[in-house]
Amino acid sequence: MGLRAQAAAIAAGEVDAAELLDATLERIEQRNPALNAVVETFPERSREMLAAAPEGPLRGVPIVIKDEWPLPWRAQRFGAAQLLAPTAPGESGPYRALRDAGAVIVGVGNMHELGAGSTGNVSVYGAARNPWNTERCPGGSSSGPASSVAGRLVAGAVGADGLGSVRFPAAYCGLTGLKPTFGRSAMEGHHMAPVTTLIVSGPLCADAADCRLLGSVLFGEELAAGDAAGLRIGIVRNQVSEDVTPEVGKACEEAIEALSAEAGGTVKEISLPDLEAATLAAILIINSESMGGTRPEQLNQLDPELSPIARGTLKYRMLLPAAATVQATRVRTLTRRRLAALFAEVDVIAWPTIPAPAPPLEAPLVELPSGTQTADQANVRGAALANLTGIPSISMPVGLSGEGLPIALQLQAAWGRDELLLDAAEALERANARRWVEALPPLAAAEPTEA
Amino acid sequence: MHDHGHPTIGQMANRLGLPAEMESAAPDSDFIPAGLASLGIEADEVDLAVMAAVHGLLWSPLLDLLALDTEDVTPERFPNLSRAPE
Repeated sequence: MGLRAQAAAIAAGEVDAAELLDATLERIEQRNPALNAVVETFPERSREMLAAAPEGPLRGVPIVIKDEWPLPWRAQRFGAAQLLAPTAPGESGPYRALRDAGAVIVGVGNMHELGAGSTGNVSVYGAARNPWNTERCPGGSSSGPASSVAGRLVAGAVGADGLGSVRFPAAYCGLTGLKPTFGRSAMEGHHMAPVTTLIVSGPLCADAADCRLLGSVLFGEELAAGDAAGLRIGIVRNQVSEDVTPEVGKACEEAIEALSAEAGGTVKEISLPDLEAATLAAILIINSESMGGTRPEQLNQLDPELSPIARGTLKYRMLLPAAATVQATRVRTLTRRRLAALFAEVDVIAWPTIPAPAPPLEAPLVELPSGTQTADQANVRGAALANLTGIPSISMPVGLSGEGLPIALQLQAAWGRDELLLDAAEALERANARRWVEALPPLAAAEPTEA
Repeated sequence: MHDHGHPTIGQMANRLGLPAEMESAAPDSDFIPAGLASLGIEADEVDLAVMAAVHGLLWSPLLDLLALDTEDVTPERFPNLSRAPE
C-alpha cells in the first residue's frame, strides 16, 4: 500500500493506525537485515508520536527519516563515526513538518558517510543494500530512505539532496525522488549548517503522487496537481545524455518520447554550455561551505573509525583555493542566467539521472562509452546543476536493465515549478501504464505482506 | 608588457629565492604536504594517498575553471537561490 493509500485508509477508518505501525515495525524486523536500510527504530517514541498525532494529511502514516537531522530523542550521526560539528537531540524542520502532519517517524535511514557519496556503500552502520539486488549499491547519500521505500518497509521517506543525494538513490532503487527548489522544503536543524546554499530535504516514494503528498508536508504548502499539457521538453546533447550505457540511453529516449506524446508536448534540442564547469562549481562550493567553522587542529583528532576516504577528503577540502570558490560563485551566476533564458524556451530539461544502473557494492565502478569511471565521478555530472542553481529536479523510473536494475530519467524545471515536475512525472506514469512505478524488487515481491 | 617599472615574475621570484619557472599544475607531491604543513594538519600515508587521488581528479578541472573567462559576469548581489536571477 502506497503512502496516499495508507493515509486515505487511516482517515477513512479502514485501517487502524496502531496496527499499521505494528505491521511496519514487524516488516522492518523481517526485511531490514537484508537491506540495512533502517539503522534505528524506537517503537515507544513512534507510539507516542501516534498517540499525539493531530489530524493531518499523513495522520498515522509511518515514515523513515535520513540520519541527517536530529530528533527530540536522538542526535543525528550523519552516517559517520565522528562529526566535526557538535550534535544533540532536538526538533528539526522536517521532524516538525512530519509531526504536525500527523506522521509517525518509525525509523532513521542509513546514509553514505558524511553525505559524501552517490553510492551508499560507505557508512558507519555498514552499507545499505539495494532491494533490487542486495549486492548492488542503493545509491547515496540517502541510501537508507531509498532502500526502505523500495523494499516496502515504509511507503515514504525523507532524504536530503546536496549534489544529487535524493535523486541517485531514487534512480538506483526504482523510486520517484524530488529535489525541491532551494528553500521550499523544511531544512532547519540539518547537520551541515554551514552549507547554506545547496542542500534541500526531499521526498522519496514509489510514485509522483506519493511524492506530492510527502512533499506538500515538507514544503508546508499543498503542491497542487495540474497537468503537463503542452509540455515543452528540452534535451541536451552532451556528456550527461550521451556518455551512458546503451540501455540507459534507449530507455530515457523512449521515456522522453512517451512523455511528449502523453502531454501533447514538444521536444527541442537546446544548448547548455560549460556544464562541466557548473558541476565543478557545485562541488567546490559544497566542499568549501562544509568546512565553515572547522579549525585545522580538529583534523588532527579524527576518529580512526572514519573511513580513509573521509579522513583524506576532509583534509583536502582545507586546501581548496579561495579563488576557485569565488570563481565557482561567478559560474553559478552565469549558469543561473543561462537557465533563466532557457526556461523561457522550454518547461523542463530532460536527461538520464544516472549514466548506468546500480554498480556492485564492492566496486562501485561503471562502464561507460568513455571508459570505466567511479560511479561518483559519473553520477555527479548530471545532478549538480540543480543544486548549484537552486532549480527543482525529479528522478523517476523508466525501465529495468537486462540485469533487472532500475533506470531513471531526470527532469529539471525553473525555480518554483516543483508542481510541474510532479505533473510531468504523473503524465509519464500514465504513458507507460505505471509499469515502472509499480514494479517491485524481488525482495519486496517475495512476501505477500503489503500492509 | 613590463614597462611600468614592475618586476617580471621571474625577477620577483629570484628576489624571493624562488625558481623563476614555477609549476602551475601544483603536483600533489609538493602542493599537498606544503598545504597541510602551512595549516598544521597532520597526515599519514593513507591520508596522503587519498588526497593525491582526489587532487588528481580535481586539480586539472579546477585549473580549467579558473581559466574560464567570467570577466563579463556581473555577480548577483544577495542571490536568492529559490528564484530566477534578477
